[in-house]
Amino acid sequence: MLRQVIPLASQAGRRSIGSATRIQRPATRLGPRNFPRCYADSKPSDPNTKPSIHDSNTIVLPGTQSTTAKSPQPPPPGPVLSPSPTSHPVKPFSETPIPPQSVPLVPPIPPGGKVQTAPPASIPPAQGVDPNPATTSPGASTRATSVPPPLSPPPPSPPTSKRKSRWFRKTLQAFLILTILGYAGGTYYSLLSDNFHDFFTEYVPFGEDAVLYFEEREFRKRFPRLTNPTNRPPADTSNKITIPSKSGVSWKIAGDEHQGSDLQTKGRHMSALDANKDGGTKTEHAQQTPSNATGAEKIGVEQAKKDEPPGPKIKPIEEKPEPATPPPPKEPEKPAPKPTQSPKKDTDRLPEVDEPSRYVPIQPIDPLKISNADEPLVQDLVNIVNDIITVVNGDSPHKYASTMGKAKSELAKVGSRIMSLKQAEKQAADEKIRSTQREFDTAARELVRRLEEEMKDQEIKWKDDFESERARISQSYQERLQTEIEHDRRLSEQRLRNELLEQAVAMKKQFLSEVTDRVETERNGRLSKLSDLSSSVSELEKLTADWNSVIDANLKTQHLQMAVEAVRSGLDTADRPRPFIKELAALKEIASDDPVVNAAIGSINPTAYQRGVPTTAQLIDRFRRVAAEVRKASLLPEDAGVASHAASFVLSKFLFKKKGMTVGDDVESILTRTETLLEEGNLDEAAREMNTLEGWAKTLSWDWLNECRRVLEVRQAMDVIATEARLEGLKVD
Amino acid sequence: MADTPPSTPLPPAAQPSKPVSEALLNDKWDHAISSLLIRSTLGLSFGVVFSVLLFKRRQWPVWVGLGFGAGRAWEEADATFKRGVAPSGRDGLRLVRS
Repeated sequence: MLRQVIPLASQAGRRSIGSATRIQRPATRLGPRNFPRCYADSKPSDPNTKPSIHDSNTIVLPGTQSTTAKSPQPPPPGPVLSPSPTSHPVKPFSETPIPPQSVPLVPPIPPGGKVQTAPPASIPPAQGVDPNPATTSPGASTRATSVPPPLSPPPPSPPTSKRKSRWFRKTLQAFLILTILGYAGGTYYSLLSDNFHDFFTEYVPFGEDAVLYFEEREFRKRFPRLTNPTNRPPADTSNKITIPSKSGVSWKIAGDEHQGSDLQTKGRHMSALDANKDGGTKTEHAQQTPSNATGAEKIGVEQAKKDEPPGPKIKPIEEKPEPATPPPPKEPEKPAPKPTQSPKKDTDRLPEVDEPSRYVPIQPIDPLKISNADEPLVQDLVNIVNDIITVVNGDSPHKYASTMGKAKSELAKVGSRIMSLKQAEKQAADEKIRSTQREFDTAARELVRRLEEEMKDQEIKWKDDFESERARISQSYQERLQTEIEHDRRLSEQRLRNELLEQAVAMKKQFLSEVTDRVETERNGRLSKLSDLSSSVSELEKLTADWNSVIDANLKTQHLQMAVEAVRSGLDTADRPRPFIKELAALKEIASDDPVVNAAIGSINPTAYQRGVPTTAQLIDRFRRVAAEVRKASLLPEDAGVASHAASFVLSKFLFKKKGMTVGDDVESILTRTETLLEEGNLDEAAREMNTLEGWAKTLSWDWLNECRRVLEVRQAMDVIATEARLEGLKVD
Repeated sequence: MADTPPSTPLPPAAQPSKPVSEALLNDKWDHAISSLLIRSTLGLSFGVVFSVLLFKRRQWPVWVGLGFGAGRAWEEADATFKRGVAPSGRDGLRLVRS
């Protein structure tokens, strides 16, 4: 709503002078915002006010409560058509003052629609103010549209007291109607839209109930089957299960309650005796009691027979051969027997039934009686005749009395004849029985005789069998005895033999053990000798091994000495330096595990055996050259320059040469001493002497000194190895 | 073994680049004298040229040049002599590493 209103209001503002029709809408909507809701909704009021505006030239929004508006509005208070029309310039509006109730319902589009449009055209100049407020309070307009009805009655103007009371009633009426309508509309709309439904049910009192009611109605209409309450109960009742009151366990004894032979009740059913009792009462209907009945009884019976047609059929029971048959026919007539008396004696008491009293006056025809009606055939006949008699009795007994009497006599004759027949039959049967009995006797005697014979035969046969059996048994016993004896004999023999064998085995064992003992002793003696021999042999072996080791060691030392000799001779006899690496390698191989030899060889400078060692002659020759050079630098001072070198070079020419073992530390004397030592062959001392030189002299003699050292090293190593070899030889010995 | 030496023709290995120790001083003398000659000659020639070109054939420039050259040679020789006192190599002595 808000969104709708705002643009509209703005439009209204702009086009205030534009088309009148358009302006009208905003005007109606904006109206309420100026004044409380009451007027806002009442669209119909617009037409009313507008004409007034026309007149007064003042701008009054439709539905406002402004003073100006009041004057034209008198119509609303006035019931219908009342005074207003006179005041209003336009006729049609006179009718508009509709009672307030109808106002909110349907805004009547009066014929003055066109007239309505007119006023806005005049309004614009003044309305320029309105549109703006419209934008400011759109919420008011929305509220006005939705809720206004109750407060709508605005016509408080009428001042008179009569009108006041009326006004109150009307307002009440209007209020009621508006409320109902509002609820109706709200309910309807809430059914349509969910959003409004929520609002309505939550905020409007009783709104929920109303909506729920309608919803339920609709639901029922749609699913009558589900909702209809009348449908359900029948479904339930149809399936209802009734539990009989006597079902289940109860403290009562079941037997107490049995009234009849109802098969469906629990507990004992009727016993056979009871059935007979009941049945007996009814059987008379079919059969009569001819034989046993006494005279008095017969009369009772006759009475009963007469009574039968109206009442239940009650007849004396005959204790007849067919007690089983009656029960089935009895069942259907069950209710009837009640009046009858209980068990077997009812035949006597039958007459006690009250009915006969009524029929006594009439003399009925006596029913037929035959002395011995045992025969079923006769009985049937009697029954037939009796039935006829009963019929006749019921109708007019006097009429047929004679015929009936004849018939009875005939029947009696027939019955007597039958009886005679029966008697004849009986006699024949007796005779027959007697003859058959005689036959039986003879047959039995024959049978007994035959049985005795057979028994005798049997006895003889059994005796024979017994004899033979006894003989057989004794024979078998004899045989068994013999076999037993035989067995025992054999067993003892066997045992004896076994004992013998055991003895033999023991002896053999003893012999063997003796033999082994002797052999053992013998062997032990020899074995000790053998062990002595073997020990001596092992000693010999040890000895030889020892000797072998000695020989090996000797050989080794010999080899070593040989190698040393070879190296030394190579060194001594060489006329110029020669590498002796091969000799040295051989030597090292021979004395592979001798630490002393290895150390000695390790002490030799590698260059010595790789390039060889100068001989003594070479050494002396070189010394002479070195000595000449050293003499030149013999006079040099410490840190000498060119001048001093030149001086020493020149002055050394004038030095005197010394000879022999001179004394002194100067270079010249050292040199002479060294020379003499060399000439003596003492290379070691010569080297020591030369090593005492210093400065340039030493520098010049450096190479010679190194050579000397190398030679000396080799010689020393050789000496050491030779000594070691000699030591080895000594060790072995 | 002793009989076989003639068969082994291995000559003592000729001394390689390293000079023999006793010839050390002689080498230095040779070097010094040659350098003296060359430098003095160079100085002399420079002096001659200078005297001819600049000093109207005066004599002193020649002597000065000679002196320069000789002096330079002398100085060099002196330095070499002084430096060579210490034994340069240590061959012949074994280093045993512990």
